[in-house]
Amino acid sequence: MINHMPSQLIDCLLGMYEYSSEAIFFFGKDNKLLNLNPAAKEILEAGVLEEMLQGREKSICLSCKGYTSTEELVTCQSCYFLNPRQDFSSFQIYLETKGKGVLPYVASFHTIDQAEDTKVLILRNLTKQLETQELLFHNTTIKHIIKAQEDERKRISRELHDGVAQEILSSLVDIRVMKYLQDPADVSQKMKHIETSLTRLLDEIRNMSVELRPSSLDDLGIEAAFRSHFKWIEKNYGLIVHYSHKIQGKRFNNEIETVVYRVCQEAILNVLKYADVDEIFVHLYETENTLMLDIIDQGNGFDMSNRETKGTGLGLFGMKERAELVKGTFSITSSIGNGTKVHLEVPV
Amino acid sequence: MDTNFQQIITMIKEKYGLDLVMLAFIQPAQLDYVLTWQYAAGNISDRFKRIVLQSGKGVAGSVFKSGKPMLVKNVTTEYPMKDLFNFPIVVSEKIKSFCALPLYQNHKVQGVILLGYRIEDAMTDVLYETIKKNMSTDVPGFYER
Repeated sequence: MINHMPSQLIDCLLGMYEYSSEAIFFFGKDNKLLNLNPAAKEILEAGVLEEMLQGREKSICLSCKGYTSTEELVTCQSCYFLNPRQDFSSFQIYLETKGKGVLPYVASFHTIDQAEDTKVLILRNLTKQLETQELLFHNTTIKHIIKAQEDERKRISRELHDGVAQEILSSLVDIRVMKYLQDPADVSQKMKHIETSLTRLLDEIRNMSVELRPSSLDDLGIEAAFRSHFKWIEKNYGLIVHYSHKIQGKRFNNEIETVVYRVCQEAILNVLKYADVDEIFVHLYETENTLMLDIIDQGNGFDMSNRETKGTGLGLFGMKERAELVKGTFSITSSIGNGTKVHLEVPV
Repeated sequence: MDTNFQQIITMIKEKYGLDLVMLAFIQPAQLDYVLTWQYAAGNISDRFKRIVLQSGKGVAGSVFKSGKPMLVKNVTTEYPMKDLFNFPIVVSEKIKSFCALPLYQNHKVQGVILLGYRIEDAMTDVLYETIKKNMSTDVPGFYER
């Protein structure tokens, strides 16, 4: 084949092979390494390089940690090496590199000689691009978070102004009026008025404080905090929560309890917003050092690939983030018409 | 006072061709009182029975606290989606257009009546005024200020 090529092209190809910043590997039959260029040698650990040069089968696996499929970020399932018939013209793989740990590379893998079964794997370092992407994502998320924080402050401020301040003002006016009242019956009537007003104020402040963060979560633990929260939900929204727990009042790390509580709270809020049901099921249990939480409804459900939000759209993201904070896993299964199941697992 | 409120709200529902009429009254509780939905006509679910209204919260809560009627001609356009879950009755009863009036007795709000349609823009200004005008005769013993 080379004989037909103009020498200039050969020079170019050799130059590219030799000096390119892209790592180039040639593999022959049985996926044994035929050749690799200097850039490729550069990224591989010395031990791995040796094994590969000795022609060990599947030696790339010593360095390759997996590739990104539609299902997972890093996976070995239907590996590009073993299923070359699939389209692997551009994909992302993770390699254990010399001195830099596991790095992402954009790769292309294809057969260049059918008869000899020669394949080429070309890698380009993706770190820079990923960093840019991550930064972009980070910045947009921060914008969302700042907005959510501001909205929350606005809500609390409004509640303080409209509820607490209002009620205090009205009591204050009553007290001022009372100074000028002569008839004891009038005074006693005003007193009663003030009493109810203050009682309502106390209720309101308690409500606000519990809504912000229930003290029972710190004092009595997750089980009790859930019980009072569900009672509150029923009173305010008319939603019945069927609650079963098998943790016998056990206490967990404060961080874990907060995560479990918040995830449940958010999940129930989602039920209220989207599910259109009158009752839900919450299970809290522990198996082999893992605390599990299930929130199940038989409501509308949603198409997991196509969501329409009635809010900031940060809810699911937030639940996932919270779960990751305590090394837990968070998953949702749902489909239209079949309800939704939220599952949280936290190692304890 | 032996007023058959169920009968009254059913009558009101038919009179204006409404989809839902609900009636909340204050109930004495220790030191305070609570506002709860007592009667409903045309309701889809019984969810309202479990709800204890908070003063200043939700439709009935705001009417009760302010003592002023409210009119929402179109829930979809007038209420922001993300706040809608704060109005559980509106959502669970799928109300799209409604008004709510305070019911006075001795210069104090004693109850709230909610009149709603499941069709957008069905509660018009004209109808709203008519309902307000007739309320004191529709619900005997109370008056709309």
